[in-house]
Amino acid sequence: MAVEKTNNHVLHFLRSAELLKQGAEARVYRGEFLGKPTVVKERFPKLYRHPTLDEKLTHRRTVQEVRSILRCRKAGISVPVVYFVDYTSHCIFLEDIVGSVTVRDYINSAHTSEAKNLEVVARKIGEILAKMHDEDLVHGDLTTSNMLMKRGPGCGEADLLLIDFGLSYISALPEDKGVDLYVLEKAFLSTHPNTEALFETLLKSYSASSKKSQTVIKKLDEVRLRGRKRSMVG
Amino acid sequence: MQYIAKTPQQSELQTAKFIWIASCCVYTGFEMHLSQRLELFPEYTVTQLLFKDVKNATDLRKNAIAGEISGALINPSVLVDPFQVLVATNKALHLQKIGKMKTRSLYSEIIFNLSPTNNISEAFKNFGISDSDSAVQVVLVHADAEQNNMDDILSKVDGQQISVHHISSLSNIAKIKKLYKVSPQEELCGSLLDAVICRMATKDVL
Ligand SMILES: Nc1ncnc2c1ncn2[C@@H]1O[C@H](COP(=O)(O)OP(=O)(O)OP(=O)(O)O)[C@@H](O)[C@H]1O
Ligand SMILES: [Mg+2]
Repeated sequence: MAVEKTNNHVLHFLRSAELLKQGAEARVYRGEFLGKPTVVKERFPKLYRHPTLDEKLTHRRTVQEVRSILRCRKAGISVPVVYFVDYTSHCIFLEDIVGSVTVRDYINSAHTSEAKNLEVVARKIGEILAKMHDEDLVHGDLTTSNMLMKRGPGCGEADLLLIDFGLSYISALPEDKGVDLYVLEKAFLSTHPNTEALFETLLKSYSASSKKSQTVIKKLDEVRLRGRKRSMVG
Repeated sequence: MQYIAKTPQQSELQTAKFIWIASCCVYTGFEMHLSQRLELFPEYTVTQLLFKDVKNATDLRKNAIAGEISGALINPSVLVDPFQVLVATNKALHLQKIGKMKTRSLYSEIIFNLSPTNNISEAFKNFGISDSDSAVQVVLVHADAEQNNMDDILSKVDGQQISVHHISSLSNIAKIKKLYKVSPQEELCGSLLDAVICRMATKDVL
């Protein structure tokens, strides 16, 4: 109730914004803020969790997301600009990447004739992830829904952006980076059937771009093997 | 060469066009100052005014410290765009509303919010005006019920008012990059304004 009262202005604003996505952890809105097209990510309280613990976790994710966005930008990795953060209602106001589509939607809507375009995108993903890992940033939730493409299909060179850094953390360990890629591989192949070759292109591009890729890919192979063993036992 | 020389009709046409544009600007509210409403605080209006050739910076600063000027006086050389001031003002109003300001007044909080660090005296040194300054950006925040004190500011500043939209002509890009520690690679993925806004918005969790 206290939050409701003190943040009247933020929550009131969200009521007039367009709800883009209602997730389990967050709601994403679209609206105009300070005259700019803006996306607001609100991490709402989870009533099934203990209030103190929930507040702590939610706060940590908001902080993590904000910190990682700044770290990325400093390193020249494309992510949306942060305009404003409210740490009491856990809302992040971000630059709306107008006209963007998620890589997920892009791949799903691509026709077979556009296979070349998909390869370009896969290489771009490999490059951006290599850059991110070289900054010792582990995303923690790599999926094709957490990547945006600035220009729609067929509009020449596409710009790729990373989003959704709530589970990200700093680590130099090849194992952590390997698991990051493993999570993506699992998500990629299940969301986009028969894309093994495309994912291989992504990994090749990652390896070519990252200075420390060798140990990471080795760890990825280990994690894959562990995953396979586990599924054979289970 | 013929097409460069203006026939009388052409110049008449241009004059007419100029008058037309000028009157349009009045109708659409194009003025020297910039007044905007904030979506989160619709009851407030933020007004920005810009002055150059200012001769009484020392007095203005003293007035501001004494509370005789209710406005934030900003050194325009560290501003890239009016949006930067809007972001700082929105944050100041937000922190005021939730009782979490780091400084004593809304106006000092606006200056503090422009800074990329959490050091208050550093913020005033870099973003407030100093005695030797010859340009000043003034920010006023007023609720609908309150009186707009723009006339008061206009009477107090001994300088030439110019359009807020010309703010970038006064920006010291090298200084801004240094203050906000903007790296060359960062400019590859966005504008200088993007870099500045990101620093301002994220400094609480540095
Ligand atoms: N800056 C942005 N510009 C345009 N669209 C965006 C932006 N940020 C998010 N979106 C859209 O909203 C969707 C959800 O955003 P995001 O991934 O950040 O939230 P989420 O998945 O609900 O978060 P979480 O996984 O923390 O619960 C994205 O897949 C994308 O379609
Ligand atoms: Mg997501």
